[in-house]
Amino acid sequence: MNQKYTLETYAKQFNLSRASALNKLSKLKKQGRATVSGGGYQKRIYTVSDKKIVKTNGFYDLVNKYSPEKLVPKFEHVIHGRYTIEEAIIDGIEIGDIRTLEATKHLFRNVNNWKRLFDLAKRNRMVKKVRNLYQETYREMKTKKMPKRYLK
Amino acid sequence: MINVNEQEELFKLISNFLEKDLSCIAIGGTAMMFSGYKTTTKDIDLVFKNNEDRDIFVKAIYSLGYRQKTLKGIYDKKRIEHQGKPIMYTRVDERFDLFVENIFGFKLDFSDKNIVQKQVFSGKKKLTLVVLPKEYIILLKSVTSRPKDFEDIVTIINLEKKVDWDLIINEAFRQENNNSWIVLDLEETMLKLKKFISKDYIKRLYEKR
Repeated sequence: MNQKYTLETYAKQFNLSRASALNKLSKLKKQGRATVSGGGYQKRIYTVSDKKIVKTNGFYDLVNKYSPEKLVPKFEHVIHGRYTIEEAIIDGIEIGDIRTLEATKHLFRNVNNWKRLFDLAKRNRMVKKVRNLYQETYREMKTKKMPKRYLK
Repeated sequence: MINVNEQEELFKLISNFLEKDLSCIAIGGTAMMFSGYKTTTKDIDLVFKNNEDRDIFVKAIYSLGYRQKTLKGIYDKKRIEHQGKPIMYTRVDERFDLFVENIFGFKLDFSDKNIVQKQVFSGKKKLTLVVLPKEYIILLKSVTSRPKDFEDIVTIINLEKKVDWDLIINEAFRQENNNSWIVLDLEETMLKLKKFISKDYIKRLYEKR
């Protein structure tokens, strides 16, 4: 379970001095069991968990960065290595529910490498699905133009 | 023993030696590490969709120097004789337990229904490890019942306020046809966990029978 504290509330809860609380929170951060938000003119809020907090950087993070239609993650997606917009489109189609597909449409605006997208689509046997989703996107919103050779 | 970072680095390395993109389910200590329940594990337990996928993975770890080892001394006789037993590969003190489709008869669902986490390692090829909910980790730990498996179950229960024991019991009964001792193993585990779980759940286990 995640619980939120400021430095003062953490110190009070565990009956620590301010300095000891800061040391404890710093240790928890190093162990990956605490994250911090805020700082500067904002009060720091520490989120403390009983177990290590998993940092995601996969499909849902990318979609929620680029799409105005935000998604609640169905699972934690962690990538070790490179993860591109093209791979995210394929993952979005693979997940396949309507909300995910609607959000995935916005990723076509940021495609840089159409060849990579269609190579991945071929490998995952979803060329038709990619084409259809793109055509729907093209009808509904302003997006990048797909090279004609991939539309056939 | 292998820690979280070493495990991630190892999977990254393996993904560079794969012949094609692979997807498998991580269970046991590996799943616990990915879910943040512990920081080290003795063995890496993976379940593959079919023999072909497992062979590709074996080829990759073989080229990294891992060699097959007997199951004796790790699993008991009834598990060694079971069709759903793993093959074991080891190198120094790291060990892979590689299952196909089921774990001693406990069939895993490879659809996206039960996923709580996906770990993707992109090297030359992509290695995707899927992590199942904690309830499945607990149930599978009681099925494999190796030394330290019970300790791991206690660790999960201590860290998680909510464990869906109904789901665990239902799943054990659903899998009973594939292996009759799944329910017996669960019963044994639940009796050992008496102080952590409500009596009603243990009662339910007997009522269902």
